[in-house]
Amino acid sequence: MARIEMTVNGKKVSHDVEDRTLLADFLRDELGLTGTHIGCDTSQCGCCTVHVDGVAVKSCTMLVGQANGADILTIEGMAKGDKLHPVQQAFTECHALQCGFCTPGMIMAVAGLLKDNPSPNDDEIIHGLEGNLCRCTGYINIIKAVKHAAAAMK
Amino acid sequence: MSAAFKGRREDRRLVTGAGRYTADWNQSGQLYAAFLRSDRAHAEIVSIDTKAASAHPGVAGIFTAEDTKAAGLVFPPPFLPFPGKGGQPIKVPAHGILASGRVRYVGEEIAMVVAATAAAAQDAVEKIEIEYQDLPAVSDVEDALKPGAAQIHAEIPGNVSLVYEYGNEAKVNEAMAKAAHVTRIKLYSARLVSNPMEPKGCLAVYDAAKDVWDFWSSTQGITMMSGSLATHGIAPEKARIHAQDVGGGFGTRGGAYPEYLVVMLAAKKLGKPVKWVATRSETFVSDHHGRAIRLSGALALDKEGNFLAFRLDWTCDLGAYPAGAGPFINTITPMLTPTGVYKTPAVYGLHHLVVTNTTPIAPYRGAGRPDGAYLIERLVDEAAREMKIDRLELRRRNFIAKDAFPYETPTMVPYDSGDYATLLEKALQKTDWAGFEKRRAESKSRGKLRGIGLASFIEPAGAALAPKDQTLLKFGSSGNLVLHSVTGPTGQGHETVMPEIVGRELGVDPELITLSTGDPDGPPLIGGGTAGSRSMSSHGAASLMAAREVIKKGLELAAKDLEVAVADIEFKDGKYSVKGTDKSIGIIQLAKKQSSTAGSHPMDAGGEVPAAGTFPSGVHVAEVEIDPDTGVTSVLRYLTMDDCGTVINHTLLEGQMHGGIMQGAGQVFGEECQYDRASGQLLTGSFMDYYMPRAGLIRDLQVYDHPVPSPTNPLGVKGAGEAGTTGSLPTFMNAVVDALRPIGIHHIDMPITPSKMWHAIRAAAK
Repeated sequence: MARIEMTVNGKKVSHDVEDRTLLADFLRDELGLTGTHIGCDTSQCGCCTVHVDGVAVKSCTMLVGQANGADILTIEGMAKGDKLHPVQQAFTECHALQCGFCTPGMIMAVAGLLKDNPSPNDDEIIHGLEGNLCRCTGYINIIKAVKHAAAAMK
Repeated sequence: MSAAFKGRREDRRLVTGAGRYTADWNQSGQLYAAFLRSDRAHAEIVSIDTKAASAHPGVAGIFTAEDTKAAGLVFPPPFLPFPGKGGQPIKVPAHGILASGRVRYVGEEIAMVVAATAAAAQDAVEKIEIEYQDLPAVSDVEDALKPGAAQIHAEIPGNVSLVYEYGNEAKVNEAMAKAAHVTRIKLYSARLVSNPMEPKGCLAVYDAAKDVWDFWSSTQGITMMSGSLATHGIAPEKARIHAQDVGGGFGTRGGAYPEYLVVMLAAKKLGKPVKWVATRSETFVSDHHGRAIRLSGALALDKEGNFLAFRLDWTCDLGAYPAGAGPFINTITPMLTPTGVYKTPAVYGLHHLVVTNTTPIAPYRGAGRPDGAYLIERLVDEAAREMKIDRLELRRRNFIAKDAFPYETPTMVPYDSGDYATLLEKALQKTDWAGFEKRRAESKSRGKLRGIGLASFIEPAGAALAPKDQTLLKFGSSGNLVLHSVTGPTGQGHETVMPEIVGRELGVDPELITLSTGDPDGPPLIGGGTAGSRSMSSHGAASLMAAREVIKKGLELAAKDLEVAVADIEFKDGKYSVKGTDKSIGIIQLAKKQSSTAGSHPMDAGGEVPAAGTFPSGVHVAEVEIDPDTGVTSVLRYLTMDDCGTVINHTLLEGQMHGGIMQGAGQVFGEECQYDRASGQLLTGSFMDYYMPRAGLIRDLQVYDHPVPSPTNPLGVKGAGEAGTTGSLPTFMNAVVDALRPIGIHHIDMPITPSKMWHAIRAAAK
């Protein structure tokens, strides 16, 4: 067991955890932040993407101990009260989600992408989405939403 | 996208992480389950020793076949209400929920451990000692059909579970004999893994006092799940099914999986809630797979190119156990549209359903439809080439005319409505088909092979999962309405579109209406879930009928309120008005004036529609470019001209098309579930090994409609959920083959991976 402390969505948390606990499981099981989804066991699907110190990370690839002291942002921390984050808003308006299971990870990945590159072209968007799988939308409207969000965030 | 589209009603919770999928539900004091699965394809189980596992810290119970048998749980026979050739019923093996005596595929469930934590359960599974005696395995239908092949079940001699036929063999033989030309083709539709992004899972709580379970799982509808549980041995009234958000279905979430029954049994035996969530690796081996069909066909034509007959032969892999709707989709479904959109006097189909040492096969998006369309549309393109008739002209010559409806197929199936010739002409206009040769030449100048292809396809939709579908509209205290339905949305947007149907009919803001599904305390409604592209023509149409009933019930109340006779009242734009006056009352205002007693409001009303088969059709066009140096095929453009009947919400329809087409593209460009042919080991058991379509596979995708309302239901809608997949297999492959024709290639099988393409091009150059 180990004691970890971190900031999650602006709140300080501290917990005793089993050494082998993954960040994804910690967020879901210990903090009840079930918006971070687990869709695979090989770090391919990207459903569990969160921001660790401002960088988009697949939280299933990280032991929670590695995130000790970090500043974590999950999908639950994206909206400001009733106001959706521009990426959340764009996904909604562009019908970029259907079943919604990949959506939180997709939104966190896109927010990370736009942070690094506020005006991505199509190739850059597609490259940026390479680590996130969606089975419902065909990605057509997701790509649209990324452009929509980029424009809104300017 | 519709200009007015501002997002769906379900989106707010889903984009903020507030959606609740199966793994997001928890109960205090819950235990966790993990499964021991077969690590080999075919073996006798000599012994299972659970002693060490039982002693593992935290273990609360271990369940094997003995326990599930004692509890009366069974692996049900597949759904197939018709016999096969010669009246022979499908051959089905005796089989339990957990493997007993023998394992027959990699991943088959053998035992379940329940423990205080998921990790402890998994650790204990590894301590179960199991001794096997290996048997020869057959993982491919060709091997399974060979004389002397390993026998998988004593009850299925020769590994053939069912031979199914339709049409008229003698008439087809006669047509083939007198035909000016017969085109023949052999194709393969690979085994696929459905891969909804949410892995399956469940949570069961047993109430001993009531002898009832509360059961959470991903499902395509609560009546589908309770119906499926009933076939496994748990009566519908014993299981209260809960479902909120479901992370994709695609046919694979239609019923109960064996794991669900063992979890329910454990919750009862241990007196504690039990939760199980599959890993992706588990879903790869244990979610039912799709397709896995060897197709061959022949098309007989007279010298003018008129179609005389189709002969269709399918050899379908059922996996190790005939399961669920696996046999249905490989028999009845393709029988419904056996000649496509073409007037053809004769057809004969002969399907062999074969068992192998692989994961069972069940519906996956399209479920027999894409395979059928692929076979017919590839035959038509090859016939055009062989007879030197333009492929558009050959289609035009044979289309069923738009005034021929209801059209009866040679298998006596009535097509509802359609206008195939117009679909084609409109699609051609949008794609500049006529200007293609210039574009081909331009690609050639860059050393690339460019192709254009199309398919004019049809598919059966509106699966009759229930004789009728019912909905109920109930008024709330603030003039709001709750629409109760047993539809099982998995991303289609029912919470948005069903209230739109009711709102339009009532002339009120759809926001006043909330859809309720997946509620075990909801009213008992007859109806099927969401499968077979049926929700709009069944639940949607029943919602419209309920709205009409509400309006009818309000007539008398409005007459009383406005102090006139009922005959003097008319309803329009949300208002009851006295004819010829400006006196009126809004329907919501009227509802608010009524007092409701014991949860019942005088204007509450139900609606229902009988099961209705619809036949969506479309013409899809794809343009592709192949790089012969790398074997990489790029999609330059994809365009659809669909007839899904009346369009209720274009944006949501477009979303269904996008997803359907991309799943077809997955099969065309890379998806293939592969087993090692000798050992039966799954080679593509993770997202690292199994191709999944990613962003950018199709960049330019345009969806157009040419709706011809269906007379089968009051909305005039046809199915839309599977049409994208059905159209895209033949469309892409006709385009790919068109690109390859100049170098002498007229056939290549899916998936056209760069490696396969490169080798094919190299071989053709020799």
